[in-house]
Amino acid sequence: MDERSSQSAQPAEATRRGFFRIAIGFLAGVGGLVLGIPLVGSLIGPAFRKKRARWSRAAAVADLPEGTPTVLSFTDRSSDAYLRETVTRNVWVVRRSATDVTVYSPICTHLGCRYDWEPNSGHFVCPCHGSVFALDGKVLGGPAPRPLDTLPLKIENGELYVEWERFEPGIPKKIPV
Amino acid sequence: MFDRIVRWVDERIPLTSMIRQGLDEEIPGGARFAYTLGSATLAVFVIQMITGVWQLFYYVPTVDHAYDSLNYLRTDVPFGWLIHGLHYWGANAIIVLVGLHIARVFIYGAYKAPRELTWLAGVVLLLVTAGLVFTGAPLPWDERGYWAAEVGTSIAGTVPFLGDAVKRLLRGGDLMGQLALSRMFVLHVAILPAILLAFLAVHLAAFRRFGSVGPWDEAKRQRSGLFWPDQVLKDAIVAAFLLVFLIALCAYASPPFAGPADPLDTSYVPKPEWNFLFLYETLKFFPGRLEPLGTMGIPLIGILILVLLPFLDRSQERNPVRRPFAMAGGAIWVGAVVALTIIGYRSHPGGPEAGSRAPGGSHARLSQSAREGATLVDSLGCTGCHTINGTGGSVGPDLSNESRQGRSRQWLMDQIRDPKSHDPGSIMPSYPSLTKQQLNQIVDYLQSLGAANPPGEGKATVSPPVREAPDPAPPLRQSPVVPPPAASSPSKPSGAIHGLGPLPPGSSLGPPGRAASVIGSGEHGAILFRLYCASCHGPEGKGGIPNPGSAGGAIPPLSPIDRKFYSSDPQTFATNIDRILQYGSIPKGPMPEKKMLVFGMTNSLTQEEIADLEAYILERNGVDRAQVLHPGIPPKIFFYLTMAALVLIAGVLGGVWARMRANARKNAS
Repeated sequence: MDERSSQSAQPAEATRRGFFRIAIGFLAGVGGLVLGIPLVGSLIGPAFRKKRARWSRAAAVADLPEGTPTVLSFTDRSSDAYLRETVTRNVWVVRRSATDVTVYSPICTHLGCRYDWEPNSGHFVCPCHGSVFALDGKVLGGPAPRPLDTLPLKIENGELYVEWERFEPGIPKKIPV
Repeated sequence: MFDRIVRWVDERIPLTSMIRQGLDEEIPGGARFAYTLGSATLAVFVIQMITGVWQLFYYVPTVDHAYDSLNYLRTDVPFGWLIHGLHYWGANAIIVLVGLHIARVFIYGAYKAPRELTWLAGVVLLLVTAGLVFTGAPLPWDERGYWAAEVGTSIAGTVPFLGDAVKRLLRGGDLMGQLALSRMFVLHVAILPAILLAFLAVHLAAFRRFGSVGPWDEAKRQRSGLFWPDQVLKDAIVAAFLLVFLIALCAYASPPFAGPADPLDTSYVPKPEWNFLFLYETLKFFPGRLEPLGTMGIPLIGILILVLLPFLDRSQERNPVRRPFAMAGGAIWVGAVVALTIIGYRSHPGGPEAGSRAPGGSHARLSQSAREGATLVDSLGCTGCHTINGTGGSVGPDLSNESRQGRSRQWLMDQIRDPKSHDPGSIMPSYPSLTKQQLNQIVDYLQSLGAANPPGEGKATVSPPVREAPDPAPPLRQSPVVPPPAASSPSKPSGAIHGLGPLPPGSSLGPPGRAASVIGSGEHGAILFRLYCASCHGPEGKGGIPNPGSAGGAIPPLSPIDRKFYSSDPQTFATNIDRILQYGSIPKGPMPEKKMLVFGMTNSLTQEEIADLEAYILERNGVDRAQVLHPGIPPKIFFYLTMAALVLIAGVLGGVWARMRANARKNAS
């Protein structure tokens, strides 16, 4: 220890060791940043990622009959991080022209039953509690608190793409579940 | 403020004196870069622990999600490529560093009294490190890891008397499955790290008790230096370079995507990682009943020598020149390990890569005609549907014992030329363009199957996969991948090649299978492609194979693929081709001779194999299936930034040094 004390007492040696301490601090800092930024980034990135639209190809628009509601089945591939699920969905589609198409969720806005199209009356009718909807989705009768839920859609190169969503039943406001 | 906090803590626990105890140390002969190997190993261990814990934010240890969850981290999580890459390359670096560290300690004679305990704790750390490497390999549940663990646990099973019990304990049962993965996981992330930390504490405490051993030359020991900050700076410099080196490896040599583990895939030929190659080569010297000597005897002797070394070599002499026997022994040991590793690296185990998987691979005992037939069976892709001697698909009947089925030559020739002549519902492609001579050759080969091989020699004509050797038990049919919804399982009535219902028309394909969302291995996909696809789609998918009766007249090439399937987005591209692989397709045209077979729905290929094939087809079309979608900072740019930060630091430190010296001179004068 005596020798060491005498060494460190020398000014040149003290300067050298002082510099060593600073250099160690800098290297540790850079190492911490090089590792720290990715570690923090890996947790922040997915947490603040925007929800991506999940478009599913449903049909060619030209294949849809004009003016008459049609049930369309399509494959919806949902994912939650690395968990992926493929589910077949059914929706009601009303085509008025090549560019004017409406897609309805097949779930009644009252309590979530599956409603049907009655060609004779020209209305959608829910068998559970008798809610009646017009072709444009408006409530014509029964306990339904809001019109039929429309689903997001886009038409690209003549193909209809639908984004599947579910909404809270039984309330006047259309709130996604 | 900071001093007050330190004082407050010091009054309650002796923090400062503990730090001093750890850092205030004189090093005989002064600080040296040669002494940085231990601290470099420790630095990489710290990186391993941090990146290991971080991977747990995303990884799940279940056979159905382990592979996907890790790949999600690698491709979809910002800096996931770096976190996993550092862990992967860090594991490799540790083995090298531990080896160099042991070599230095050995050469300096630092294991001798009174430092025996430091050495012994180090030997335990070495074994725990080997355990961590072994238990970490299967965690991704990919082909490499799965088969490494399968073979590794089978090796444990060769121990006399206790072997089977040890193997079962490691696997949680007879076969590799979920329990095996759970056990490896708990060992890797909890038990072994806890043991490692405990013995690391012993190792460091024992090291501090007697300090650095220093040079063996007395003259050089006169000068002394300090551990803090002299040696620590050298340690920090080496650790910084190591970190940069590991980042470079992550950026320029990303760990491979080995494809999901597939216990049923007989085309995968496992070969140990480089770190176990020496053992793999050693085993070849101990065939048959001597096997336990190689699997357990040699490693145990090695461990015993390491444990007893400080007690066998009791002389205080540390100069290597005066320890010729020790040095010669060490050199022979290192030379043997290096030589065996190189030999192992250059060896090619039997398998499809070596051309032995194909039915026409080895038929020395067959007639010339039957050999020609075997080649034809190979080139026509018959094993895409039929199993022959343990390899091939399961769409059609197993042909391994065809000679014992009692079918006439004419029946077989008719079946090949026009399968519908025997069964109108058969989906087997017809081969009307084969010449009579070719048909005879194929039938000669088929009639040799089973007859040419006495019972028990069924696999003699095809090199068995290496992994089958240690464990005769069949692999667990526990595919984590759920096949796509199928109407019903295909029946396979014996004696007739039909088995499947009609092919679904192209317009009514079902949803994509699970393979579409799995990142397969393009490398393994290439092997599968040669086995199952090349006979119709041409070598490397370049096409050119005629298909009489189809609208185009030829089977479409896959490289380049029809643009309607192509997408630069790997997920979309894989989904586009997946449905064809799952459900097959019938080419347009009046009467196409060949149809795309149904691989997925019939389970004739597993979803893992289909994922590998898809990765290969994407690769052939210039799309990386394992494309990093959210890198955070792109790998190479991150590397450049790290380098730039280091250069900046060097510049700043240069300025600081110049200023400090100038100030010191000023004060002195």
